[in-house]
Amino acid sequence: MKPRSQLAVLIAALLPASVLASTIEGVVLNNQGKIVTNATIEVEGSDLKVTTDENGKFVIAELNNGLKELHVVAPGYAHLHRDITITNDENQSVTFNLKRSPIEVIDIEATPIHMSAMESASPVSVLSGEQLRRQQSATLGDSLEKLPGVNTNFHGKVASTPIIRGLSGPRVLITQNGLDVSDVSRVGPDHSVASEASTAQQIEVLRGPATLFYGSGAIGGVVNVVDSRVPTDSTTRGEWNVEHNSVDNQKVASFNATTGTDSVAFYADAFWREADDYEVPVAADIDSDGESHSGDYTVENSNEESDGFTVGASYLMDNGFIGLAVEQFNRQYGIPGHTHGEEEEEEHSDEEESVFADLEQTKVQLLGEYNLDNKWLNKVNLRVGHTDYEHAEIEGGAVGTTFKNETNELRIDLLHNQFSEWNGGISFHYKQSDVEAQGEEAFTPPSETESFAVALMEERHFGDFLVQVGGRIERVTIEAGDVLLPNIDAHAHDEAEEADEHDHEESAEITRVFDVEHEFTPISLSAGVVWDFTPNYNLGLSVSRSERAPSASELLSFGPHIGTGTYEVGALFDLDEDGHLGLSDQAIDLETANNIDLTLRKTQGDVGFILNAFYNQVDNYYYQIDTGLFAESGHDHGDEEEGVDEHDHSSELPVYLFKTDDVILHGFEAQIAWQLTDEFKVDLFSDYVRARLKNGGDLPRTPPLRFGSELSYQTDKLSAHIHVTRYQKQDRTAPQETATEGYTLVDVSISYDLSVLNQDMSVYLRGTNLTDTEARVHSSFVKDIAPRPGRSFALGIRGYF
Amino acid sequence: MKKLYQLKLIALAISTTFITACGDAETNIVEQDPIVVEDEHDHDDDDDHDHDDGYTISSLGRLAVLAGDSNEASFFDLDDNALLDTFVLNDESNTLSASPDFRYAVITNRTQDYLGFIDGGMWREDHGEHLHDYEQGPAFSSYELTSGSRPTHLMTHDGQLAIFYDGDADSGAPASVEVLTDSDITNATPTLPGISYDINMHGVAEPRGEHLLSTIRRDDADNTSVAKVLPDQVGVYHFHDGEYELEQTLEVTCPDLHGAAQNHDYVVFGCGDGVLIAHQQDDVYEAQKVANIEAVGTERIGTLYGHENSDTIFGVAAGHDGSGSVLLSIHPENAEMEEVEWQLADGASAVSYSFSASGEHFLVLDSLGFLNVLTGHDHDGEMHWELAGQVDITEQDVSTMPEGMSFSMTVAQNGEFAYVADPIAQHVVQVHLEDLEIESELELTFPPAGLTWLGIAEVEDEHDH
Repeated sequence: MKPRSQLAVLIAALLPASVLASTIEGVVLNNQGKIVTNATIEVEGSDLKVTTDENGKFVIAELNNGLKELHVVAPGYAHLHRDITITNDENQSVTFNLKRSPIEVIDIEATPIHMSAMESASPVSVLSGEQLRRQQSATLGDSLEKLPGVNTNFHGKVASTPIIRGLSGPRVLITQNGLDVSDVSRVGPDHSVASEASTAQQIEVLRGPATLFYGSGAIGGVVNVVDSRVPTDSTTRGEWNVEHNSVDNQKVASFNATTGTDSVAFYADAFWREADDYEVPVAADIDSDGESHSGDYTVENSNEESDGFTVGASYLMDNGFIGLAVEQFNRQYGIPGHTHGEEEEEEHSDEEESVFADLEQTKVQLLGEYNLDNKWLNKVNLRVGHTDYEHAEIEGGAVGTTFKNETNELRIDLLHNQFSEWNGGISFHYKQSDVEAQGEEAFTPPSETESFAVALMEERHFGDFLVQVGGRIERVTIEAGDVLLPNIDAHAHDEAEEADEHDHEESAEITRVFDVEHEFTPISLSAGVVWDFTPNYNLGLSVSRSERAPSASELLSFGPHIGTGTYEVGALFDLDEDGHLGLSDQAIDLETANNIDLTLRKTQGDVGFILNAFYNQVDNYYYQIDTGLFAESGHDHGDEEEGVDEHDHSSELPVYLFKTDDVILHGFEAQIAWQLTDEFKVDLFSDYVRARLKNGGDLPRTPPLRFGSELSYQTDKLSAHIHVTRYQKQDRTAPQETATEGYTLVDVSISYDLSVLNQDMSVYLRGTNLTDTEARVHSSFVKDIAPRPGRSFALGIRGYF
Repeated sequence: MKKLYQLKLIALAISTTFITACGDAETNIVEQDPIVVEDEHDHDDDDDHDHDDGYTISSLGRLAVLAGDSNEASFFDLDDNALLDTFVLNDESNTLSASPDFRYAVITNRTQDYLGFIDGGMWREDHGEHLHDYEQGPAFSSYELTSGSRPTHLMTHDGQLAIFYDGDADSGAPASVEVLTDSDITNATPTLPGISYDINMHGVAEPRGEHLLSTIRRDDADNTSVAKVLPDQVGVYHFHDGEYELEQTLEVTCPDLHGAAQNHDYVVFGCGDGVLIAHQQDDVYEAQKVANIEAVGTERIGTLYGHENSDTIFGVAAGHDGSGSVLLSIHPENAEMEEVEWQLADGASAVSYSFSASGEHFLVLDSLGFLNVLTGHDHDGEMHWELAGQVDITEQDVSTMPEGMSFSMTVAQNGEFAYVADPIAQHVVQVHLEDLEIESELELTFPPAGLTWLGIAEVEDEHDH
């Protein structure tokens, strides 16, 4: 925001101060009547934006007649809306009074309509600036886990994906600048998200159904990682950072920089990170009987090494910009627990057995924005992306499984001129992905998914009410020409021997092959209202009905998935009466979420809060059930064939079948911030989700009740934070799942700003898990073998230019 | 909790509101050919590629037998001689042969302009790293060929079958050729590649991969044949872009051409005055004529037998009635023809000839019920064929042979066995060609008119190039 503001100042300064027709001029003051500098005043539905000068003054010129909706934003203050009607040749003079907001309010960029934590009907959170830098970690889920309603599925620090209100995987979409990140992190918890927080500018989270904006993959929420890879201005600026972390000997270096000329802007960023296996306070394996090791425990095979760079350039026009950026992202990481179910017998050979992933992605994004002087349209947003993703899982020097994802995406938002006070636009979205897995873990056959969607989003103020409505219709096709149904001889363990015996009599195993085509037409509708029912407060209500096309992996899987330690079978298949897996006779249907969200906020004053309650009923929820049967993992064979008859039970995996059922999720998020003095602030938060089957039973890996507090001290030079989070015990478990004990994490950080050689720098020290407590993450697939890292100190220096 | 209850009510209200705006889902599933995997015990990457590598099936194969007293074809499992299935054919007077890869029985009815196919149910697919065998019940294929006129000579070679349609002078239907493979039958290929002539002829075509050597009947004025329906030239047709194109016409003429056979390097055609030998040199064929030797006498070589791995091509010189036939061995490499030392006994006439699967034996089944097994011996670089032995395949009085019937024979492609059908005894005997003994009998309930072996042919050692 800051660079943009500077540009705006420049524009504002260039404008003649003299009185023009249809001009608004004014001053922005705070509660005490002091001037607010650097406040941004935007005219809704246009790209007009100015910033207050050192006297708190601003001028908006060249306005058309009509009702103008002004949006005033300043850091540390609540956003202000003001409607002003302009009539012929009138010069208006206004005064805006901003009120303090202890909860930072940042507009998100993920949606074409205006949304922020304080002002939209549906709940959003934004992590940016210093807070982002403080919380960023090697993986996305871990970076975001301190946000209300967001948990991590912590996969031994090497991979993690955000869990939003208990939902994850194919229900939470990860995007980079509004375009699908296009990795395979949605199908496996051990698959890393191909996006980097250390070079990001802000990370936005839409909690609850966001299919309206992003389609099927966003029924549980969206995480949008924003950076300025395609720069929107050419002000020279940048940021660099080096850090060392003790728990895993992690070294991180990153930088990003933007520069350019009047008409061309350039951007570059790069990062590098290397980490060893991380230390834990107790033996990593929960079943280990506490044998006296030397006292140094680590999670084996949790090392990581990644690097990446992005270069971008854009052409700046008076009315917009268009630019292109290319990113190369590489990551190599060990996968803890990714052994072959044989560690019992072969403890000593763990080293050789360890599996690591080698991930590589090339991402090309073309982003553009153009403000039109058109009767109907005022702005066009264009986003085009091409990504080529590949990750190989390597064991003993040989590639075991290769996952590939090649995606092309196009998104065009057309924003119309205010039309009887409605702001909004229509969005066209096309996405095509070719996903394949080859090798031992090829549990999902190659498939091509194509979707095309049209969405309409509109908002309007009616007095004290803001109404936001939207609808989206989508057409999703999934084509897979080679869906395999092997005769795997899945058996219960007590009759295994007998079953195997029989099998030898038969001469051949038959793998049935299907050509499968799915076509789905999910429709999403959403309506929300924000009511400023009394000054300083608002109440938001959002209702939505969202439909999701199940993903290829949920439908077509058939094979061992080592990351989850299960033999996965997609919803296309079912068990018959004899316990054999065959084609399901159930129709494949859309998953439908009916969600209602209620939000009460105190938007300004020394105390601010956001309280959300949600109730989400998901019909036809695709999830995995344990069939009680076991099948060969086939993992130690050098080919892809299933149905291998080895008698060694150790390489068998439980068979999990995707079924649908009606599910109810409900819970709350609460966030309270209290600005005690100019220096001291207290933040409190809590969140909870209950995820249960309508007919009884709980969903697995649901995060426990959590509450936390943060005490901050902030002066010009010094900032310090103490963060305490309590995770309660989770004992609402699915069948076969074990309860997880609660724990408390204490983190502290302190940073000091200094100026060296005319450069702004800050030196910081951060301590995490100061009590060195054993913390196992209930929502993790590897909770029993990979607890959170122990006590760690990170020392770093960050510079700005 | 009260609050949640209320929320639930609101959610319910909303879901009923939106119920009309429901999305749509559609799934289409088409089952493909399955992959069959056998038990995989020691699937090491060892080189001793024994035939029991887990994907292959060990079986003697199957037998299709045409009934002489009805229009039925019966299929037997040779492992236990059990009847698998019987199919009723459309018409009578069919001939029975095997598809080029021995999966299908080919039913040809010349007068009805019909070829039909019955899936024997055993076949092999090459899955790259291993060979995959399949075993199913026999089934009548819906695929049939009915567009050509008078299908007469069917020639198979290396996975291809060339069907020569003679055409019909009376109806003005011209001759034509169609080339098909087993997968064409499996996939019911609608249009087969081939040749369309503009005149009828009693010709023959030999498929050789991308080449097809087929006869050409010139205008009667140019045609050197005595019987003008017989062609006197051979054309080399080359397959590209989905069709066969005449690329070369062999310069040597072959008057009254009848009969053809080929081995790895040569294609031989029977002519009135000798045999025409075409030698493949990449895309071009060199032709020469080997004149009839004295032993041919007043007859001509009208039938030829070849085997991919045999240097010898056998010719049979006989009058139209098959009497007084002479067996000749032709050595295309040396452009030689000689009379085989062994000849049929007096009073015997040949009812069937065939090479064995390996090409090491040449079999002559005679009308007296003897299977004569010849083997080749190398003498100073020249192959000489001698009688290895005779197997008396019937204990019946051959004079009681039903009118219009005869013994018939087929050879297994996965071992040194021949199967001989006996219409008098109404059975099929399995003859071991090395031991020269009958190993088993398969009882029939009908007199057999013809039979063919079906199944998975043994992969011979790749013939060295």
